[in-house]
Amino acid sequence: MVLLGVDSATADAVVGVTAGGEVVREARVDPGPDGRPRHSQVLLGEIERSVEQAGGWARIERIAVGVGPGSFTGLRIGISTARALAQAREIPIAPVGSLAALARGISGGGSGQPALPVIDARRGEAFAALFQSDGVELWAPFVAPPGELAGRVERLDAPPLAAGDGALRFAAELVAAGATVPPPEDPIHRVAARHVCAVGEAATEATPDQIQPLYLRPPDAKRWLQRNRRVPGG
Amino acid sequence: MSPLLALETSCDDTCAAVVDGPRILSNVVSSQAEFHERYGGVVPEVASRHHLELVNAVVAAALDEAGATLADADAIAVTQGPGLIGALLVGLSSAKGMAAAHRKPLIPVDHLHGHVAANFLEPDPLEPPFLCLIASGGHTLLAGVREQRSFEILGSTVDDAAGEAFDKGARLLGLGYPGGPAIQRAAEDGDPKAFDFPVAMSERGLDFSFSGLKTSLVYRVRDLGPEDTEAQRADLSASFQRAITDQLVTKLRRAVRAGEWPAIALGGGVAANAELRDRTRGLCDEIGLRLKLVPISLCTDNAAMIGSAARFTDPIAYPDYLGFDAFATDRSSVRAA
Ligand SMILES: [Zn+2]
Repeated sequence: MVLLGVDSATADAVVGVTAGGEVVREARVDPGPDGRPRHSQVLLGEIERSVEQAGGWARIERIAVGVGPGSFTGLRIGISTARALAQAREIPIAPVGSLAALARGISGGGSGQPALPVIDARRGEAFAALFQSDGVELWAPFVAPPGELAGRVERLDAPPLAAGDGALRFAAELVAAGATVPPPEDPIHRVAARHVCAVGEAATEATPDQIQPLYLRPPDAKRWLQRNRRVPGG
Repeated sequence: MSPLLALETSCDDTCAAVVDGPRILSNVVSSQAEFHERYGGVVPEVASRHHLELVNAVVAAALDEAGATLADADAIAVTQGPGLIGALLVGLSSAKGMAAAHRKPLIPVDHLHGHVAANFLEPDPLEPPFLCLIASGGHTLLAGVREQRSFEILGSTVDDAAGEAFDKGARLLGLGYPGGPAIQRAAEDGDPKAFDFPVAMSERGLDFSFSGLKTSLVYRVRDLGPEDTEAQRADLSASFQRAITDQLVTKLRRAVRAGEWPAIALGGGVAANAELRDRTRGLCDEIGLRLKLVPISLCTDNAAMIGSAARFTDPIAYPDYLGFDAFATDRSSVRAA
C-alpha cells in the first residue's frame, strides 16, 4: 500500500510517504528559531513534495494522520489539512494515535522493553500510553502530572523504555521510577513519518468527519473567562 | 460560470458558500451559539473544536446546495484574519488543502473586507462610494469605501466592540447569549430614557468606546440590587440599547458630515438590531442618503461575503500559498486607501 503519513501532535511537522513499507520520502521540520511550531507554514508544502516524489496523488491509496494527543492547534492544522485532501481527492483516510507512532519507533530498537511514549502536555502534565514491544496497547492514552505517571511506572513488572518530548521533560521523574530514557539527541524522541504510515496501514479507515483529535482535556473555558480577553472576529 | 468556494471560520460560525460573481449559489452557516451560551461569550478553544467537527460537512453542504463540485470551483477563498487564531487555522488549513489538491488558486480574504463586500452581492449590489458601519461581537468600525478592492478605516473602537457591550450588558442583566437579540427583546416594553448612561461622545473623532458604558451598568445593577434590577430590566435594557445605538448613529452622522458619502451600509451582527436600523434609516432620510441594508444572513458572519470580497482580491497561484498562515490581529489598516 502507498500511504501518506502526517503528524502534527508535537512541535515537529512530520510528513512522509511509504510504499509497501519502504520509505519513499520522509521529512521532519523542526520548530522555528523562536521555538514555535511551524505546522501552518510547512506541513502542506512537505505533503506536496512527498506526494510528488511518490508519483502524484493518483498513487496515494491512504492518508494516515496523527490524531494526538498533543498540541490542540497543531493537531487541528494537521487534521484539517489531511481531511481536506482526503475530501478533495476522495482518498481514504485513517486516524493514527501519535503515541502509538512514537511507540513504534521506541520498540524498533529491539530492546524488548515495553514502550512508554510521553508527549509534553504543557501546564506541567504529560500525555502518555504504554505498549508491549509487539505494539499491543497496555495503557490507553491518558493525561497526568509527572508524579502520577511515575507512580504508574513504578508499579510495572518490567522497566519501560520511555521517549518523546514529554519523556525528556520529565526524565528525572521517569528514571527515578525505573524507566529508561535515552539521551535527548536520540531520534527515538521524535515522531517519524514511517511509523505514522506503519501504524496507519493497520488502522481502520474512517470518513473525514470522523477524524477528530484525541484531546484528553476539556476546553479550558473557566480559565479563559477569568482572563476575560477581548474576542476578535465575529 | 465561474464559481468560487469560500470558507469562513474566524469566530464562532462555521461557514461555507459558493458564489458566482455577485450571485450567491449557496450560503451555509453552522452556528455554535448554543455551545457558547453557557459561557456568555465565545470561548476560543470551544469554537476551534466545533469548527473542526463541522468544516468538511459544511463545505460539502455548500457545494451540494450549489449543485457544484470542488473541481468546478475556479478558486478557493478563505478568511485569513483577523479573528481567533485557532479558529481561523481550521478554515485556512482546509481551504489550502482543498485548493492544493486540485492545483487551484487560493484567495486569502480579510474578514473586515468581507463585511464590506457583503454589499456587493445580489440582490441590489451597492456601488462605492459609501460609508459602512461594521459592528459585531468582535469589531466596531467605520469604513470609508471608495472602491471594491479596499476600504479606509475612519474610526474604530478603542476598547470593547459594540456586540461585546451587548453581550456583557445581557450577562449583567441576567439575559441570554448572544446579548444583542436578548437585550432587544427585553427592551421592547422599556423606556429608553429611564436611565442615563454615558454615551462617550467625548471620544475623539470617529472612534468608539463602550467600556465606560459597561462600567456604568455594573454600578447601576449593584446600586439597584437584584430585585429592583429584575423589576426594571425592561427600562435598563432599553436605556442601555439606546446608549449603544446613540453612539453608533452619532459617529455615523459625524462621518457623513466630514466625508460627503452618498450612501450608508450596515454590517456585522449588531446591524441586525432593529433600533440601530430604524435610527440609521432616520438619519439617511433626514440628510437624503441612500441606506443599504443587506439581509441579516449577510450581516452576521457568513462565507458568501468572503466569496464576494475574493472577487476583488488578487488570487494566489499554486504553490505560492502552501505556507500561508492566519493572522489574529487587525491588519486591515494597511489596506487603507
Ligand atoms: Zn465578523
